[in-house]
Amino acid sequence: MTGRHIALRGINKRFGALTANDDVDLDIASGACLALLGENGAGKSTLMKVLYGITHADSGTISIDGVQQNFRGPFEAMAAGIGMVFQQFSLAPALTVQENLLLASPTAPWLHVPGSRALTAVLEVLARLAPDIDPRSRVADLAVGERQLIELAKVLNLNARTIILDEPTSVLTPTETKRLYGFIETLVADGAAVIMITHKLADVEACADHTAIMHRGRMVHAGPSADLSRQQMVELMIGTASPATADRPSAPASTTPRVIVRKLAADTETSSVANIDLEVCAGELLGIAGVVGNGQTVLADALVGLHPLRGGDVIVDGHSVAWTPKPRIPDGRVAYVPEQPVHNAVVPDLDLSANLGMRSILQRRFWQFSRQQQDADARALLESADVRPPEPMRKAGTLSGGNLQKLVLGRELAGAPSLIVACYPTMGLDVAATRAVYRNLFEHLDRGAAIIWISEELDDLLDYAHRIAVLHGGRIVGVRDWASASRAEIGDLMLLGALPQCA
Amino acid sequence: MRVIGQSQQAERALTALLSAFAFILVAMGFFAFIGEPPFQTLLAMVTYAVGDSYSLSESLVKTTPILFCALAAIIPARLGLISVGAEGQLYIGALVGTFVMLLAVPYGGWLLMPGILIGGAVGGAIWGWLPGVLRARFQVNETITTLLLNYIAVLLVSAAVYGPWKDLANLGWPATIAFPDASVLPFMFGTRVHAGLLIAVVAALSLQVLFRYSRWGQGLDVLKGNARVGRMMGLDFQRQAIIVMAFGGVFAGLAGITEASAIQGRLQPGISVGYGLTGFLVAWLAGHNALLAIPVSFLIGGLIAAGDTLQLFNKIPASSAIVLQGLLFATALAVPGLIRLWRARRG
Repeated sequence: MTGRHIALRGINKRFGALTANDDVDLDIASGACLALLGENGAGKSTLMKVLYGITHADSGTISIDGVQQNFRGPFEAMAAGIGMVFQQFSLAPALTVQENLLLASPTAPWLHVPGSRALTAVLEVLARLAPDIDPRSRVADLAVGERQLIELAKVLNLNARTIILDEPTSVLTPTETKRLYGFIETLVADGAAVIMITHKLADVEACADHTAIMHRGRMVHAGPSADLSRQQMVELMIGTASPATADRPSAPASTTPRVIVRKLAADTETSSVANIDLEVCAGELLGIAGVVGNGQTVLADALVGLHPLRGGDVIVDGHSVAWTPKPRIPDGRVAYVPEQPVHNAVVPDLDLSANLGMRSILQRRFWQFSRQQQDADARALLESADVRPPEPMRKAGTLSGGNLQKLVLGRELAGAPSLIVACYPTMGLDVAATRAVYRNLFEHLDRGAAIIWISEELDDLLDYAHRIAVLHGGRIVGVRDWASASRAEIGDLMLLGALPQCA
Repeated sequence: MRVIGQSQQAERALTALLSAFAFILVAMGFFAFIGEPPFQTLLAMVTYAVGDSYSLSESLVKTTPILFCALAAIIPARLGLISVGAEGQLYIGALVGTFVMLLAVPYGGWLLMPGILIGGAVGGAIWGWLPGVLRARFQVNETITTLLLNYIAVLLVSAAVYGPWKDLANLGWPATIAFPDASVLPFMFGTRVHAGLLIAVVAALSLQVLFRYSRWGQGLDVLKGNARVGRMMGLDFQRQAIIVMAFGGVFAGLAGITEASAIQGRLQPGISVGYGLTGFLVAWLAGHNALLAIPVSFLIGGLIAAGDTLQLFNKIPASSAIVLQGLLFATALAVPGLIRLWRARRG
């Protein structure tokens, strides 16, 4: 098969109020690797899911060699030779490599006989891709990079000639990454088209012949990779400043730190942060910038004492708020607005009144025969936080994402916390609600609270934060004062982890 | 919002009604299958369960251990833990209570009865505490451990009554000496119904009040719904896991010691005819609501008692009561699901 050409024209896709793809055009040539670059939420994955038939575009066309296609689902896309490897693998860990490959192969017989023709067929690709993986080993025992290769082999077994890789290097070690680059080159040399969704410039430099850059749902650049410098790519990905929705809070009155984070280190199975040193004054808004997946979640949990520390401490007003084996009784010193509030901040099965009242649950007397007071308090809070509908008896799980966010903000910001840790607090909110959240946060600043604000919206941080710390690979790679912060410099730190060396 | 609450209640009542109707149909089908006149047999069962004072008292005798065991499953379930350990806790409760009796019998006195009751409660609590600790400290699945501890408990009782505790006066029958009258709970209305039923009902009512109106119950709701949020609010899942498992065990232990002392009069193998598992199913049928567990336990108790009488008079095997019990649980669990499916199909 030679030289086929896939053209996406005028793809539009909206999710509610969010425009994920806005009139996007893209050309995919075989025998070449295309890097699809962009920040998280730029619309890269949506575009590729449209191509793969998982998501249906609101409008726009896909054609292969001039023939218009109308994929009703991934099976039809696969039949047309398009395969996709996702960030979340779909392997059965308890089964062996060859069993997994047979499972995904449409020609595999019902009974798996050793030495069968189907087996030799599925193993052929694997032997080419990774001769050192024993097909009889269990997937659970394999490293992440090896599992990714198995996924790739699965896709290739379906005769995919156009292979989409979703953030393939985000889970790999440097050695594994290098090996993947090698495979991509082999595939391209064989005449396949490889599309790599990524936000890493290293990926582009290593193996992309063409680069397409998306920003906020629009295709802002497409062409040979050699046409752009690193700087230009960063600028295109980050975009230009948009007008602010609120005024910058006034500078902090004091310079004595109210919150001290010292040599903090914490790990989860998939990410870790180490050597985090931060100081935040009363009335100061410290922004933490970074691409999602660089340790934000574990950092936020560790700061508020929800995740055990491997080392270091978090001091607020002279008291440690770090994790202890026995939960601390909340004293209102720390407020936390976690990401994904439906999973991390509310009990979906309980009503709004209970969800708002639970902050003081351990301060109550043992018996609480009447809920009248709690319901009345809840109703007032729901009204002031503009949660719709403001019904205290409604189950939290039935609220929309934006309203849940408002509920959590209302609950967490109700007291007079010394430290507020907010992760993406305006995600899913409309302009008016966003402005209300800023106003609320800034009132706490005026009162003397210290705020640590984790965001991937560099524009917002540049508009409002007093200082911006950049998190990359689980470490703070730079801290900039707002007056001296430059968008390009912070973009470089976010994406590269360091400033480019001058030649 | 009040309207929502009412329609939800009406819906629940409708579901219960449909489930009951479905069960009656399935039960009649079963009688027809074993060659009995369906309607008459069903009617006979109702009569044998609640038809006269004797039937009623026998149903209440069966209700007592079932209700206790249901509570033993309900308390852990309030934290989202699935304990199937009531059977084992029942046996260990009987074992420890009997141990207290054997120690204290020479001294007699009014302390004997509360002493063996406390022994039973402590025994059950230990058998719940153990899987609770394993769950809290080492994340060992509590369902598996409680299931396996059931076997250990049954065999420990056998070991005691076949071995050191066997009363030689029994001429080889594996059982301990009889519980002296002073150690047995008072019987009510001149029947075999003992005061354990009162304890169980009062416990169920108090637990429901605790679940609903105490800080403890509300904390359990939060932890069950989202343990991470619970931690944010200062609640300790591990501590509560141990508490609910041990506290649940208390009631199964009481079931064991009251069965051994008041109903069977001595500790012997086979104290329970599956009360632990029946209690577990009652807990699910009652939606882990301690108040609802009272009528549901009575329903199942009546079914078991009627099955015994049916064998006596109608020559229908008593195991058909077990079959009916299984059919009841199956319909009660299937009907709500079928209603939902039907709704979804209709859009």
